[in-house]
Amino acid sequence: MNSNSNSEPILKVKDLKKTYPNGVQALKGVSFDVKRGEFLVVIGLSGSGKSTLLRCLNRLHDPSSGEVLFQTDHQGHSIDIMNLHTKASIRDLRKKVGMIFQHFNLIPRHTVLANVLMGKLAYTTNWKSIFGLWSASDKAEAMKYLKLVGISEKAHIRADQLSGGQQQRVAIARALTQNPQVLLADEPVASLDPATCHTVMDYLKKVNQELGITVICNLHFLSLVRQYATRVIALKNGELVYEGDPKNIDEAWFEKIYGQGAKEVHIN
Amino acid sequence: MKPYIVRRSLLDGLTVAVFLSVALTLIYNPTDAQMHDLGMISFIFLCGMVLGAIISFVLNAKGIKTFGENIFEPDYEKAKGEAKPFFRTFWGWHFFVTVFVLFIVGIYKTKFSMYELLNEDGFAGAKRLFAGLASPNWDVLPTAVLNIIETIFMAFMATILAIPFAFVLSFMAAKNVMKGPGAFSVYLFIRTVLNVTRSIEALVWAIIFSVWVGIGPFAGMLALMIHSIASLTKQYSEMVESVSDGPIEGVQSCGASKLQTIWFAIVPQVVLPYISFTVYRWDINVRMATIIGLVGGGGIGTMLIKYQGQAMWPEVGTIIVVIAAVVWLMDQASAYIREALK
Repeated sequence: MNSNSNSEPILKVKDLKKTYPNGVQALKGVSFDVKRGEFLVVIGLSGSGKSTLLRCLNRLHDPSSGEVLFQTDHQGHSIDIMNLHTKASIRDLRKKVGMIFQHFNLIPRHTVLANVLMGKLAYTTNWKSIFGLWSASDKAEAMKYLKLVGISEKAHIRADQLSGGQQQRVAIARALTQNPQVLLADEPVASLDPATCHTVMDYLKKVNQELGITVICNLHFLSLVRQYATRVIALKNGELVYEGDPKNIDEAWFEKIYGQGAKEVHIN
Repeated sequence: MKPYIVRRSLLDGLTVAVFLSVALTLIYNPTDAQMHDLGMISFIFLCGMVLGAIISFVLNAKGIKTFGENIFEPDYEKAKGEAKPFFRTFWGWHFFVTVFVLFIVGIYKTKFSMYELLNEDGFAGAKRLFAGLASPNWDVLPTAVLNIIETIFMAFMATILAIPFAFVLSFMAAKNVMKGPGAFSVYLFIRTVLNVTRSIEALVWAIIFSVWVGIGPFAGMLALMIHSIASLTKQYSEMVESVSDGPIEGVQSCGASKLQTIWFAIVPQVVLPYISFTVYRWDINVRMATIIGLVGGGGIGTMLIKYQGQAMWPEVGTIIVVIAAVVWLMDQASAYIREALK
C-alpha cells in the first residue's frame, strides 16, 4: 500500500465551517488531515455534511470559514483553498482535484470519449474546446484511462446508452484525465446494485494504489468501508465524531455515528 | 407581515372597487364629462380598493375566508381548515357575485345585442358576403399564391434572423446562469427589455417599421423578427432554467470556464426543445405575417385588405382558401417535426 503513517499530509483541514444562505449549518468546524496516497472514507448519515465537505474541497461550494491547505508537491508548495478569489485560481485547483458523483453527472447526449475529454477542459482554451479541437495527445490520454477502467471499446457510444456502473467508470476516467492528485468521490456506489458496487470500488482502489492518487470517498455501507478504506472519519450533524482505523468501528461507535437502534446492513 | 397578504388585499380590494364603481354609476348616473375625469374616477377606484382591503382584513381576522385569501393563502394554512363545498363558503359567493357583476357590465360595455344579431337587413348582408366567399374567383389564385410565398418567406426570414439573437440572449436571461450581483443585474435588465418588447404586439411593431423602412414585406419581416426574438428568448431561457444540475457540476469539477459550462453542460440539454420551439415559432410567424400584412406589412395580408376594402368577396374567398391551406399545412408539418424531435 502506498500510504504510510509518517508521510506528510496532502490536505490540512482546520475548523472548516459552512453555512448555507438559507441558514442551514452543514459543517460546524471540522478539522482533519489527509495523508498523501491514502484511501480516506467519510461516513455519516444523509445530511451529516459529507457532500458539503467534499464540495468545499474543490470549491464547488464556498466554505464560510476555516482553513484548508492543499500541499501540491514535496517542495512545500501549497494552495490555500479558502483564499482563491479569481476564476483562474479555482480552475487551477480543480485541475489537481478530480471528482465523481452519485449520479455520475456525465453529459448524456455526448459520446463516452467526449465525456472523458471534459477532464481536459481546464487545460484547453474556450474556443478550442467548443470547436472540439482536442490535441492528439489529449485523445490518447483519454483512451488510456478508458482502457484503465476497462471500457475503451465503448468510446464512441453515447454515454446514456451505458449502464450505471459503466457510466461511473467513465466518470472515473474523466476525473483521471485531469491528472489529479486527489480524487473526491461523493457516494460513488449509492445508486448502483451490489455487484456493480464492488467493480467500481475496485477501480477506485486501483486508482489509489497504482496511480498513487489520494482518494477521499463518501460511503454508506460499513462493509465496503472495512474492505477499502485505509482510514475513516465520521461526521454527525456537521461535526467530526470519529477518526481512525476502519477496523475499530465496533457496534458502540456505529450507534454513536448512526444513532440509537441503527442496524448495520451488509452487502456483498 | 406575510407577503401573501399584499396579494390577497389587492385582489379583494379590486373586487370591492368594482362593486363600488358599479353601484355609484347606477346611483348617480354620471354625465359624460364626469366619466372622463380620470383623476376623479381613479381616486374613487383607489378608495374602493383601500376599503376592500380593510374589509378583507377584518373578515379574515374574524375567520371568514375571502376569495383572495382562498387563492393566495399558503398550502399549510389551507390544510388547517375543513374543506366545504364552495356554495357554502363566503369566498365561493364572493367569487360568484364578482363574476356575475363583471358579466353584466360586460354586456353593456360590448353593446351586446340580440336585436342586431338577428336584424334582417344585416343578416342579408352577411348572406351576400358568405355567398361571395363560397364562390371564389380563381382568377386571382396565381397572385394569391405568389403573395403567400412572400408571407411564408417573411416568416422564415424573421425566424432565422431571430435564432442567433435569441440563442445568445437566452443564457443571459436565465437565472441559473446569471449568478452573482453583476450578472444578476444584466439578467434583470434583459428580462425587463424583453417583457416590454413582448408586450408590444407585432402589429404595432409593423406600424412602426412601415414608417421606418416603408410599407412592404421588409417592414413586416422586421416586426416579426423583433417579436420572435423576445418570445424565443423567453421560451429558450425557461428551458435553460429547467436543466438538471448534474452535468453542470460534472464539468465544473473538471475546471470548466463559464462558457465551457454553458456549451458542454447546458446546450446539449436544451438543443432539442430549442429546435422544437423554433419550428413552432415559424408556424406562428406565418399566421402572424398574414395579420401584419393588413397594416402594410406586405404579403397575402396586404392583398386581402385591398380586396376587402372594395368588398370583392369572391376574390377574398380565394385568398382565405389559400391562407387556410397554408396555415393548415404548416400546422401539420410543425406538429410532425416536433413530435419526431421528442
